[in-house]
Amino acid sequence: MSSVTIKNLQKSYGAVDVIHGIDVDIAPGEFVILVGPSGCGKSTMLRMVAGLEDISGGTISIGDRVVNDLAPKDRDIAMVFQNYALYPQMTVAQNMGFALEMAGHSKADIARQVARSAEILGLEPLLDRKPANLSGGQRQRVAMGRAIVREPQVFLFDEPLSNLDAKLRVQMRAEIKALHARLGTTILYVTHDQVEAMTMADKIVVLNAGKVEQIGSPLDLYDHPANKFVAGFLGSPAMNFFDATITQNTAQLADGQRVPLGARAGEVAEGQQLTLGLRPETLTLDPAGPLQGRVKLIEPTGSETFIALDIAGQDATVVLKDRLEAAAGDMLRFDVTQGRIHLFAAQSGLAL
Amino acid sequence: MKQMIAATRRDPVLMGLWLSLLVFALIWFAPFVFIVFTSLKSSPEIMTSGAFTPPGALVTQNYATAWNRGGFDHAFFNSVFVTVIKVPLGLMIAALSAYALARMKNRWNKLVLLFIVFGTMIPFQVMLAPLFTLVNSLGLVDTYLGLILPYLAFGIPYQIFILHSFFKSVPKELSEAALIDGASHFTTFRRIFLPITLPVMAALLILDFVATWNEFAMALVILQDADKWTLPLGLMSFQGQFSNEYGQLNAAIVMTVLPAVLVYLIFQRYFVSGLTSGAVKG
Repeated sequence: MSSVTIKNLQKSYGAVDVIHGIDVDIAPGEFVILVGPSGCGKSTMLRMVAGLEDISGGTISIGDRVVNDLAPKDRDIAMVFQNYALYPQMTVAQNMGFALEMAGHSKADIARQVARSAEILGLEPLLDRKPANLSGGQRQRVAMGRAIVREPQVFLFDEPLSNLDAKLRVQMRAEIKALHARLGTTILYVTHDQVEAMTMADKIVVLNAGKVEQIGSPLDLYDHPANKFVAGFLGSPAMNFFDATITQNTAQLADGQRVPLGARAGEVAEGQQLTLGLRPETLTLDPAGPLQGRVKLIEPTGSETFIALDIAGQDATVVLKDRLEAAAGDMLRFDVTQGRIHLFAAQSGLAL
Repeated sequence: MKQMIAATRRDPVLMGLWLSLLVFALIWFAPFVFIVFTSLKSSPEIMTSGAFTPPGALVTQNYATAWNRGGFDHAFFNSVFVTVIKVPLGLMIAALSAYALARMKNRWNKLVLLFIVFGTMIPFQVMLAPLFTLVNSLGLVDTYLGLILPYLAFGIPYQIFILHSFFKSVPKELSEAALIDGASHFTTFRRIFLPITLPVMAALLILDFVATWNEFAMALVILQDADKWTLPLGLMSFQGQFSNEYGQLNAAIVMTVLPAVLVYLIFQRYFVSGLTSGAVKG
């Protein structure tokens, strides 16, 4: 395993800049997830680490070696692609052994290493099959097998679970995490799915429009988002935002409702315009609560109940652990969990 | 019960299509029947019986006589020699070029492809005379090389065009995975692209084999010496010299067509899948 150091990384296609100076430090053995909306440059960044895209500026180091001008095969990395990219005419064993064959290993050596990796991933019964005869989950596993056979310094994953169905995705998530625990190899993983990022990563890098918004551990980012973008991106359903004005130690919403700020009242000034952020699970039903909203839609999932509401003219979502007998149009009152209130500057969106 | 369901489900449009296919097949097959029947009849029988009447007594002598009189031993060898060299060589060059144009980064790729495709647009009749002048000035008239080089030049562009679009449709992650696995471009081509291209290559091989085997105009211009003639030229001379020997003429035609039919039958399994490849994501 190796560290990966990315310094002031830039990428432009002609006059269009897509990545504007990114700095990321990845410790040896760390599981780092790049997450962001479509087009934020996360895949481009991964491909630059892999050597599949040229670097327009900055440096990428793997271990203490700058790899900017090294060919992909010389970077000691392995990559798992979203569409698996298995060689269709080769068997699973041949697919897994291809890199070793290219590196000039002996047949016996290749067979031994393929067998060892197949055992780790439970691929032994599939070794003689062609990719066309495998299910999506099996192909995904073979793609990972192909990566681990080479014992690389760094694994690169490019949205590896996007093509799987929901159930398989949850299962593979656990498998990848277990694999990381077992091999201890550094992993750089790209996804647009914030649930994947939250559940698997040691460290999350949130990207937006070619810039780093925030870097930190999953729960750190969830509890202390640096800005409105990170707050809104992580968490499902997303955080509720309300335009508010500070009035007598409360945040007054557009229709006059007031949310008490408790301990945070000291951090803001009377009359200040800001954005109030409340996570859906921090609102609880309370007939005497300060917040009132009109029910638009109720979505029971069985374990939880999602309520879509109109609060002070803005869309909001509340997640309740309990079942709820209510209909669209009903008015409900909520209490706000103290200590879970987020405040953002109205203009910059930065956390206060 | 099962039959009844099948009967009610029969689609009239599909049946119409099958029927018209059958008619077309018959029309296409008729000359072949005529030629084979005639090649097995004696001269008097040809004059007295209908074209589609099966031969009474099989006259295989026509084949032996036609082979000797038409100088087919030379012509057959010449055709085989030219085709066996030209077809695989042309396909190899086309596949390598198409791979390079589709998968190796170069800002001139589009221009080069346009230039190559442009080559397929000029009718070759227009180029016959200049081609002769060129081959002549190179001193290659009446040589195999003089024929193989123009054949390559005319065959390769459309093969590149077809293979290029096929290679473009292969997911780019496949070559990227190979690149990360440490394969060179040539290895990627040979180990990954070539195997998945086999159906298309088989289709191109059949088309090119038939085209080269039957090529007439260019061979006529470049090959003056009767010893260097290919089969279509031999057939032509035959027709002039022995025009009333229909039995022998048709025997000669059967012998000329037979190798192409054999090649088609051997590769047709790939040919059909090659024609439809790329239609759906494989």
